[in-house]
Amino acid sequence: MKLVTAVIKPYQLDAVKEALHALGVAGLTVSEVQGYGRQKGHTEVYRGAEYTVEFLPKIKVEVLTDEIDVEKVVDAVVTAARTGKIGDGKVWVISVDDVIRVRTGERGLDAL
Amino acid sequence: MSQYVVSEPSAPPARPSGGPLSTRRDQIGAAARAQRAAALDAWLAAMFPDHLPGVSLIAVGGLGRRDCAPHSDLDLVLLHNGTAGIDRIASALWYPIWDAKLGLDHSVRTLPEALSVAHDDVKVSLGLLDARHIAGDQDLSAELIAAAADQWRRTAVRLLPQLREITTARWATHGELAFLLEGDLKEAAGGLRDVTILRGVGRAGVADTMRPAVRAADLRLLDTRDALHLAVGRRVDRLVAQERAAVAELLELDDGDALLRRVAGDARTVAHALDDAWRAADRLRSGRRRGAPAGAPVRRPVARDVVEQDGELVLARTAIGPVPDPSLSLRVAAAAATVQLPIARATCEWLAAFCPPLPMPWPGVARAALVSLLGSGAGLLPTWEACDRYGLIDAWLPEWARMRSLPQHHPVHRFTLDRHLVQAAYEATSYSREVERPDLLLIGAFLHDVGKGLPGDHSLAGAPVAAEIAARIGLPPADVTTVETLVRLHLLLPDVATRRDLSDPVTISTVAEAVGDIATLDLLHALARADSHATGPAAWSDWKGRLMAELVRRVHLALDTGELPAPPEPDPELLTGELPAVHLDGDRVAVAAADRRGLLAAVAACLAMHRLDVVAADASTVDGRAIVEFWTQPRYGSPADPVALAADLRRVAAGDVSVTQRLRARAMSGRGGTASPRVVWQRAVATDAAILELRAADSAGLLYRVATALDDAGAELRAARISTLGSDVVDAFYLVGPWTSAPERDRVAEAVLAAV
Repeated sequence: MKLVTAVIKPYQLDAVKEALHALGVAGLTVSEVQGYGRQKGHTEVYRGAEYTVEFLPKIKVEVLTDEIDVEKVVDAVVTAARTGKIGDGKVWVISVDDVIRVRTGERGLDAL
Repeated sequence: MSQYVVSEPSAPPARPSGGPLSTRRDQIGAAARAQRAAALDAWLAAMFPDHLPGVSLIAVGGLGRRDCAPHSDLDLVLLHNGTAGIDRIASALWYPIWDAKLGLDHSVRTLPEALSVAHDDVKVSLGLLDARHIAGDQDLSAELIAAAADQWRRTAVRLLPQLREITTARWATHGELAFLLEGDLKEAAGGLRDVTILRGVGRAGVADTMRPAVRAADLRLLDTRDALHLAVGRRVDRLVAQERAAVAELLELDDGDALLRRVAGDARTVAHALDDAWRAADRLRSGRRRGAPAGAPVRRPVARDVVEQDGELVLARTAIGPVPDPSLSLRVAAAAATVQLPIARATCEWLAAFCPPLPMPWPGVARAALVSLLGSGAGLLPTWEACDRYGLIDAWLPEWARMRSLPQHHPVHRFTLDRHLVQAAYEATSYSREVERPDLLLIGAFLHDVGKGLPGDHSLAGAPVAAEIAARIGLPPADVTTVETLVRLHLLLPDVATRRDLSDPVTISTVAEAVGDIATLDLLHALARADSHATGPAAWSDWKGRLMAELVRRVHLALDTGELPAPPEPDPELLTGELPAVHLDGDRVAVAAADRRGLLAAVAACLAMHRLDVVAADASTVDGRAIVEFWTQPRYGSPADPVALAADLRRVAAGDVSVTQRLRARAMSGRGGTASPRVVWQRAVATDAAILELRAADSAGLLYRVATALDDAGAELRAARISTLGSDVVDAFYLVGPWTSAPERDRVAEAVLAAV
């Protein structure tokens, strides 16, 4: 089982949600976060002091999926979130040892 | 919207290559840096649109100065006149740079915007002084460069105090490049950023800062950074110990030590120049504030032959004669350190040139000045550094040349040897009220590591050197003996406190015999604490402090009354009641069981599984019960769950082997070391036992494996003391018996080494 995490621009959330829904992903978690990458939070036409670093608001999306579908999920998120401009964010995948559904106690793939 | 042609992005300049040493060496040096700059210029200019008036691309920072290290960032400013569509022009430049994985610091400004940001921010002001036109409207670039330089000249004297504050804060964070064993070549005091500031101060017309010595130091520091980037393969500015040898090889220096010495020398040159620059700026500001000074300058007496003038110390007229007093330079230094004022540069130069050498032995007034200097507290370090710069220390102490910038190789050290010694004297002032002879404490702290760099054990090698120096500075023979003892035994208390059983009377009597008297004991205690604090944050802990205090207390008692401490009573809770019994109390773990064999090892295994480090262990048999007591520290900060721990301990005490099996499985995967472990036997230092000392790399379950090996070899373990320094452990095992037979000792030693 895998956890796909994506940090994206806030206004791309709807597009990502639609794309995941179309794939049949059953659930996801969303949180409001802040971050910056190589451009230190500056826009293309930033005019302040070069050495300062700014946090920008972002959205973090987390999806649990099985090994078979993980590539499709990643592709869907990347395609939906991309604007082609700086600040588009990153997606990464980590392995999950176990998942449990709280209400029924099911474990593993049955809990996805 | 004006028409312009946007060029297609071409390939970025080639990344730094690996390959043979000669190829990599070609990428170091001013010519290579200029070449990299030229390649970047060409690439950026090719990307810039043609026929575009009112827009230009300017490089600042390293690219502006053409000082490009192999993995440097680009600092670029896109300057425009309010051109429409500037965002698209900017994107067409920045995206290829980001996609080429080059670091980029960018801004897009009109001329008034650029000047306004510079006006409010001294760091931006300084950066614009390095501005250089890359592409586009040359007249526009020239306008900005001229306006920025002019603005700097007009506002610098007002801005310099702000710059000085920022610099002081930066130095506090990054330390001094001249004395750190792993300094940041750019941000530490005396590093490349300070050279940029020196250039700016020079451009402001405040002082002539970029003298030949500073320029040469700058070039060598830039070469060192080039080599560091090549050695590491990415943008790293901190000269870490493991890269020193590779960097030295690229720079064609003998070894890492030679590299460190060179960097230290260059950093000192830069730091001293910056110090002079700040003072020149201060004089300029106070001169401007008061207008022309009226009449004779005000001179305030500070000490005999020393007066203060304009915030600096100079010589009184009485001091300057045909035959100056040889103790004059020491007295000036002592005064400067005590009142925390700098010595005027002219005075330092005069003293270096004209102060005669001290007679041997030194007169009392010179010795008193040295002690006063060493004990001055906060003023010691800056004054010492100023005296060292002008060669005054070499005149006082010929041995200093060997110790200047000497690297230290144990990772627990932060400073080079010279700074460590002065820092030890500084730390020792905190303990001066605890000893009868604070002067001997200061001298002992200052000389304690004087044997480093000489062959052999540095305590033993340093003692005669320290004795000679002590005699030379005029101490009476009894005091010379004390100083010699302090240097020879400066590691005795910390070593014994952490590696020996303090309740064993033989431990206490050995130390009492070596130390001799209470005054020396107090001096050694203060010296050990000052030394630890002057070494680095990893050299001291509350645990060590408490152990040492306990040792000193017991030795004190022994020296005072001749009494030796009685062995401690075992925990009364474990002496009665059911077996197995477990008692947890803070950091103490005690277990009682019916059978002694393997108990200590099994409990050690259990503690290791709960991520607890053992610092001390005692094993005894009382009324047929085997009792083991451990003192523990959590390995990772959070303490173990007492309920789970107690349950596991009861199981192992009852003979359950599952815990030890789990630990064996884990230990197999974790092993791997660099230096090979060593075993040393010490006999006649414990009651009815011999000590087997193991030095090895720390690993989980080490105590368990060694204790099991000792059990299997038939040795009876009475106590263990574990002392950790960085990733190394010294374990002292008290094995019952006389151990007179050498083959027996070798057999056990081999068994222990095989278990590590």
